[in-house]
Amino acid sequence: MGKLSPTLARTLLVVALLALWEVFTRLSSVSAILIAPPSAIIMQMVQILVRTSNVPDFYANARLTIAEILVAYGLAAVAGVLTGIAVASSKVIGDAFEPILLVLYAVPKIILYPVIVLMIGTGPATKILFGIFVGIFVIIFNTAAGLRQVEPNYLRLAHSLGYGSAKIFFKVELPAAAQTILAGLRLGFGYTIIGVLTGELLLVNAGLGYLIDWASVNYYTAQLYALIIITLAIGVVANYIVGHIERRWVRG
Amino acid sequence: MSLRPRKYVPLAIRLVVIAVFVLIWDLAVRLDWIDPLFLATPLDTIEHLVPVTIHSAPDLAITLTAFVSAFVTGVVVALVIGLALNLSNYGRKMLLPLFALGVTIPKVTLLPLFILWFGIAQTPVIVFGALSGFFPMVINVLTAGGEVKPNQVLLAKAMGFGPLRIFRKVTLPAMLPVLVSGLFYACNASMMGVFIVELALARHGLGAVVHDLAVTFQTADMYAAVLLTASITVAINMALWYAARYFGRWRG
Repeated sequence: MGKLSPTLARTLLVVALLALWEVFTRLSSVSAILIAPPSAIIMQMVQILVRTSNVPDFYANARLTIAEILVAYGLAAVAGVLTGIAVASSKVIGDAFEPILLVLYAVPKIILYPVIVLMIGTGPATKILFGIFVGIFVIIFNTAAGLRQVEPNYLRLAHSLGYGSAKIFFKVELPAAAQTILAGLRLGFGYTIIGVLTGELLLVNAGLGYLIDWASVNYYTAQLYALIIITLAIGVVANYIVGHIERRWVRG
Repeated sequence: MSLRPRKYVPLAIRLVVIAVFVLIWDLAVRLDWIDPLFLATPLDTIEHLVPVTIHSAPDLAITLTAFVSAFVTGVVVALVIGLALNLSNYGRKMLLPLFALGVTIPKVTLLPLFILWFGIAQTPVIVFGALSGFFPMVINVLTAGGEVKPNQVLLAKAMGFGPLRIFRKVTLPAMLPVLVSGLFYACNASMMGVFIVELALARHGLGAVVHDLAVTFQTADMYAAVLLTASITVAINMALWYAARYFGRWRG
């Protein structure tokens, strides 16, 4: 046992589960509508990617979803960091607004979704706004927490060296808080993706969420699994990239 | 009680901000910035709150039952699996990344599969809610295991403590803060999961009520139902917070 590295053991476990799944679907009497064998799903994924599948407009829908995620995240990151800076900038402002933010954070944002749909319709803006709602809070809280953790002695030293407040902010406070802020930005990215995809699956008029629903209502089971895995893979790869950027920035 | 102005300034700011928000909300309807079909005035919403609450009491009970079942199931399963894996460093290292993947992937894309597997009654609501709560909780159980200092366990052993007493006196107190924060994540994730499924497909429960009111344009009732739901989730969070503080004291 101890000789295998945990990573290798993990890979073997996943492969074993896939094999079990394959054998189970081939041998069991469970309807092919409910579960597709991994081999069929992988074939379907390849077909979708080279456009020989019956999935309509895969690349257009995927582009739309990715664009929604990127716009939502960009706005959530900028607004979240700025709000976090504002909340941390003075004790009065922090005490005044943090309870409001905490209450908003505690409410499952999903319940506001019908409200957003009623107010601004069923276009991409709805999904973007919802993605921002889901993603922004962790960015705000981490930014504020990071700035508050900055060692007070650093600030005193910078003051005594005659730094102006802008210089202190950019040269001392922000770098000292960078690690916590970046962690918030990484988590916020994951939440934004979840928000955008939730919006797509509830509205089902465009994007990958729409395609997943299309496969589901038509009982294209292999396509359904393939599309879900592709969507999840986009999320995993995006999270990995952001995590990688975060690690490089923190080290550098 | 002496009057401390510093304490009341943030409160005053907060109240003013909320008042301005409500005023803009009201004006938006009265001055026709937003069609009254899509937005009810604050007054209308409040007036509808009591009738809606009475009317949707059975759905409220269904939602709360589903949430409690999902939350408890997710947390208990996470505790059993997490504590078992904590017994071996190897097991923890092997499976932690897989569980972390479970947190970051947008599980909502699996919703069509849940309909295939579990139908559209209460089962998918509870299963999805439990799954949403399980992943953040299991991550926290595994992380909490890392907080236990091996030296303290060794010392307790040397002092002749049995395994049960070691767990109660050494392991559990060390793990508790991380476990409690896991409970908060799991609680919010479970609530979000329950509401997503209710909004998307259920016929009963608060999410279904909000959905039905939204698609039939019973706008004031819908805003009242959203307000009701939001208040309940905030109340649940606060109850959990007080419980955590109470048990925090027990830890000493």
